Amino acid sequence: MIAALARTVAIAGKEVLHVRRDPRTLYLALIMPVVLLLLFGYAVSFDLDHAPLRLIDQDGSESSRLLARAFSRSTEFDLFPARDDEGLEREFRRNRTLGALIVPRDYGRDLCRGRRVRVELVLDAADAATANQILAKAEAIALSASPRPEGAITPVEVRVRTRYNPEERSAVFVVPGLAAYLLAISAVLLTALAIAGEWERGSMEQLFASSVGRLEIILGKLLPYLALGMLQLLLVLAVGATVFEVPIRGSLLLIFCAGALFLAGMLGQGLLISVLARNQLVATQAGTLSSMLPSLLLSGMVVPLDNMPRVLQWLSNVVPARYFVHALRAVLLKGAGPSLVWPDLAAMAAFAVVIVTLATLRFRRTVA
Amino acid sequence: MSRASAQLAAVVRKEVCQTLRDRRVLFLLVVAPLLQTVVFGYAVDFDIRRVPTVVVDLDRTSLSRQHVRALLADATLSRTAATTSIAEGERLLESGDAAAVLVMPSSFEADVLAQRAATVQVLLDGSDPTRANVTAGVAARYFGEVSQQLGRERVERAGLPPPGSIELAPRLRYNPRLLSPPYMVPGILAMLLIVVTTIVTAMGLSREREQGTLEQVLVTPIRPLWLLAGKMVPFFCIGLFDVLLVLTAGAWLFEVPLRGNPLVLALATVLYLLSTLGVGLLISTLSRTQQQSYLGGFLFALPAVLLSGVVTPIRSMPRWLQVLTLVNPLRYFAETTRGVLLKGASFGDLWPQLAALALFGATILALATLRFQRESGGKAA
Repeated sequence: MIAALARTVAIAGKEVLHVRRDPRTLYLALIMPVVLLLLFGYAVSFDLDHAPLRLIDQDGSESSRLLARAFSRSTEFDLFPARDDEGLEREFRRNRTLGALIVPRDYGRDLCRGRRVRVELVLDAADAATANQILAKAEAIALSASPRPEGAITPVEVRVRTRYNPEERSAVFVVPGLAAYLLAISAVLLTALAIAGEWERGSMEQLFASSVGRLEIILGKLLPYLALGMLQLLLVLAVGATVFEVPIRGSLLLIFCAGALFLAGMLGQGLLISVLARNQLVATQAGTLSSMLPSLLLSGMVVPLDNMPRVLQWLSNVVPARYFVHALRAVLLKGAGPSLVWPDLAAMAAFAVVIVTLATLRFRRTVA
Repeated sequence: MSRASAQLAAVVRKEVCQTLRDRRVLFLLVVAPLLQTVVFGYAVDFDIRRVPTVVVDLDRTSLSRQHVRALLADATLSRTAATTSIAEGERLLESGDAAAVLVMPSSFEADVLAQRAATVQVLLDGSDPTRANVTAGVAARYFGEVSQQLGRERVERAGLPPPGSIELAPRLRYNPRLLSPPYMVPGILAMLLIVVTTIVTAMGLSREREQGTLEQVLVTPIRPLWLLAGKMVPFFCIGLFDVLLVLTAGAWLFEVPLRGNPLVLALATVLYLLSTLGVGLLISTLSRTQQQSYLGGFLFALPAVLLSGVVTPIRSMPRWLQVLTLVNPLRYFAETTRGVLLKGASFGDLWPQLAALALFGATILALATLRFQRESGGKAA
């Protein structure tokens, strides 16, 4: 038992030497998360901001100017007055403007007479998400700009209270997801590359010829990368907390437990890929397909899972990143304890056990 | 010149043989992009629907039930649970089983009938700000319309002239059904090309360097320039093939239209591939192992994707990041493909993007070739 432990440690020590001898990989592995986090934190924002709209005011009355002011007062829109819709299509094609608000003649008069006035909004709807946001915001402005009977109370009011992230900052949402994504990338790909590389160079066979057991080799190979992954997690959390003010409301210990379980699964996956691929190019592509893509798309990190097709929703159940993202958000933002996140931990543990077992079995068979 | 073309042909033949020999690589270069297009196309839908909502109806009258039903009718909110305690609703919010709690107050019907102000409460999980925003917007809009309607009725009943109201009539150009995939597929294409050209080229060259075969070829009379060109030709062709493949799949599965001139698209693709291959070459000259090449390629690919407007609009980024997008070939390629496919944009509309692509491609290829020649020239001499 002690001898086995010593051999595992020896393999791990050898792997650490590998990483240290090649500091460029180490730098990349540590700088990458920080660069990506900063980029994600600043770049990933779905907020509608200063969307250019052409204002075609055919009425020119006091009330049409009031409506225009309601639009330009919001930070979502920048209005550019124009006489007509001449050249509008060309501006759409050149991404100069996103839409046109057309206030009809007699707008003011009809509104005063208590009629329902149609204000046209022509939109470049190629980007459906942006078009949807513009529509929602414009409808809200039109509603609030509609005249109200004097002195009357608002019959039904809506009071919205936002919990956990009341300022609605995107970074708070993105950082936990990003942590999962980065760990998935580095864990799967670094192991897959490192071990596939050994196979390419033939040094893996040499290891097998020694008296070291299979499981010892596997554990020894995985341990240094587990440590690297934990270091990355710490780095991401530290940058997230200091630069983007992501709160850490729950226990750090719980976060690192979840991180270790998640990493174990991802490392196992990288190992399995390298056993199957034995070629670095194939390993990276297989890693991209089987871990990066699902971790990005099927984890709920940026794309909501609620309205995906059933097949993909079902598939997301076997993506460990989904559980990690959920657990991270719950612990970081909501201060959830073990009683709330244990299903996530259990799912990640199950995945890790299954995948490491598979990799070990496959390891044996291919060598024998 | 004929010697040069013979050299080029020899290298191309060797590269094609090598690529075809490993069926898995071919699979990854052709089938994987197709697979990713399909998965991305179905998965990437930023439209917010079916937000899991707990309904806490403290009033339990026909009026409160009627409004809850009408609010849920457009499927943006979907009822996951109904309870009569706000605390239970908050618990579901905390566990993540719900993202919104809708509270109808206990005197809702009575207040509305008595013309007192009724207040509906919406509790949101703000950890996903976009979803929270949309949910709040939907609730505000629905009850805003209800208020407007009630206000009119009350004024009419009192015998006063009704106030006017503004109706927004949207006219949606290019994409009247507001589908996400036709906009996403061209973006996906731009991303996939980075993987199959930049990363594969960088790793391929690093692999030859690792194995020492690059030096062997360099000591032959072949000129480094032809060697490079020959190495890039097969990946260039695979890139072009992938474009056709992805666009066909997009047209077939996701109703991606082709409204503009395909020649503009072809020109943009050629220029873009020059850039991506050039970046791959540059990365390979900067790294010693395949692992470094891969990480380097990745370090280029991810920022390029994020700062291209493919995933999130460039308009929403802070100014200093918007400036960075100006040197991103992916941005210009995505704008060109989206313009040609969806809006029928012409050469006259897109020449600035095409010029930028050409400039970037030429610069990066020249830089990479220079570096490669300096590195290998020393060894070959």
